[in-house]
Amino acid sequence: MASARELVKRRKSIRNIRKITRTMELIATARFKKAMDRASEAAAYTKKINEIVADLAAADLKFSHPLLQQPAEEKNVAILVLTSNRGLCGGYNGGILRPTLRRLRQLESDGKNVSLEVSGKRGIAFMKFEGVPIDRSYTQFEDKPAFDDVNEIASRYVADFIAGRLDRVDVAYQEFLSSSKQAPTIQTLLPIGDLAGSGGADEASNGASIDYEFLPSAEEILEELVPAAFKARFFKTFLDAAVGEQIARMVAMKSATENADEMIRDISMEYNRARQTQITSELAEIIGGAAALE
Amino acid sequence: MIAATELRLVLVTPETTLLDERVRSLQFPMYDGQIGVLPGRAPLVGRLGIGALKVETSAGGTDRYFIDGGFVQIKGSIVTLLTDRAIPEKQIDTAQAKSALAAALAEVPTSEEGLQAKERAVERARRMAGM
Repeated sequence: MASARELVKRRKSIRNIRKITRTMELIATARFKKAMDRASEAAAYTKKINEIVADLAAADLKFSHPLLQQPAEEKNVAILVLTSNRGLCGGYNGGILRPTLRRLRQLESDGKNVSLEVSGKRGIAFMKFEGVPIDRSYTQFEDKPAFDDVNEIASRYVADFIAGRLDRVDVAYQEFLSSSKQAPTIQTLLPIGDLAGSGGADEASNGASIDYEFLPSAEEILEELVPAAFKARFFKTFLDAAVGEQIARMVAMKSATENADEMIRDISMEYNRARQTQITSELAEIIGGAAALE
Repeated sequence: MIAATELRLVLVTPETTLLDERVRSLQFPMYDGQIGVLPGRAPLVGRLGIGALKVETSAGGTDRYFIDGGFVQIKGSIVTLLTDRAIPEKQIDTAQAKSALAAALAEVPTSEEGLQAKERAVERARRMAGM
């Protein structure tokens, strides 16, 4: 059994660690709430875009746009991986990076030109460790991704896709399903499979159809609307990732704090026993000494 | 049917819903020029231009915002503006907009896309500086 002094030392250091994890949990909770608010505010934009798409669909318009078309040959594929800049968030990064690596290997064995883009220091470090070359990396996205920054990347993808330099854009991120469930997903954002999809459009279209005036024509509105819809979806992946990171950190830190609590309890008990033993043995020594003198 | 007497303006950017309030009337740029909307406007879906959104609030004052392209949907009494960026007039940095204009004008594009990008940048900076 360890000495009482040693146990005190250990208990003290665990208490310190507990303080840190507890604080991190609180910070993550606050950030999570903020990120969540941003994500739900951003949902209004996506919903409206879908509504306009439904309005256009009601006008008997045939959707044809370069971003909607599947290229004849899929050769150049871009994968964007969204990870966090900081660690201590449990299985958040590992959950994304493992399937991403599998996908990368598969695409490479299929003979495609893959350009890998990674956001977040954790992902960059992982790819470096695995020896996978990264084409572009971003570290500026924290828990509050700004639309202007995201838009820059999105615009480049749109330009590259239209020019035929890119045939597919995949984004790997933790999709936000509910505040207790996130799942790593690799989503193909370009070409846009189904414009009216992912909710919103159905409920908007079942009302009585309104005879809209289109300025300019429905076709020309569509031309601008498709990239806007893509950008809104692209932005949503960043928001989801930000929310997911905070949730993962919150959960990880909560269980770390609980573990620390348990350890402190155990060590306290052990310490009490050690102290008791020490006292008993000292007493025995004194009594033994006194008995020898008699 | 009673004639509509009010409008509700919803100004949405990808990041947030900036405004959701009752207004008397509003003016904003379309792709080809200004449009004014009064209560009772027929349904409309259209493309926005770059420039000033002027709102006459129900309290009687006027608000101005800079909006940067996007879409408008008018449905019943609700006017929804979807735009990439909307900046209240007070937050606009005229000096910065002017330097952005100078930078955009100084650019020498070498391709068709570059030329278009330049034109857009020049227009945006000019409208912002002119607010």
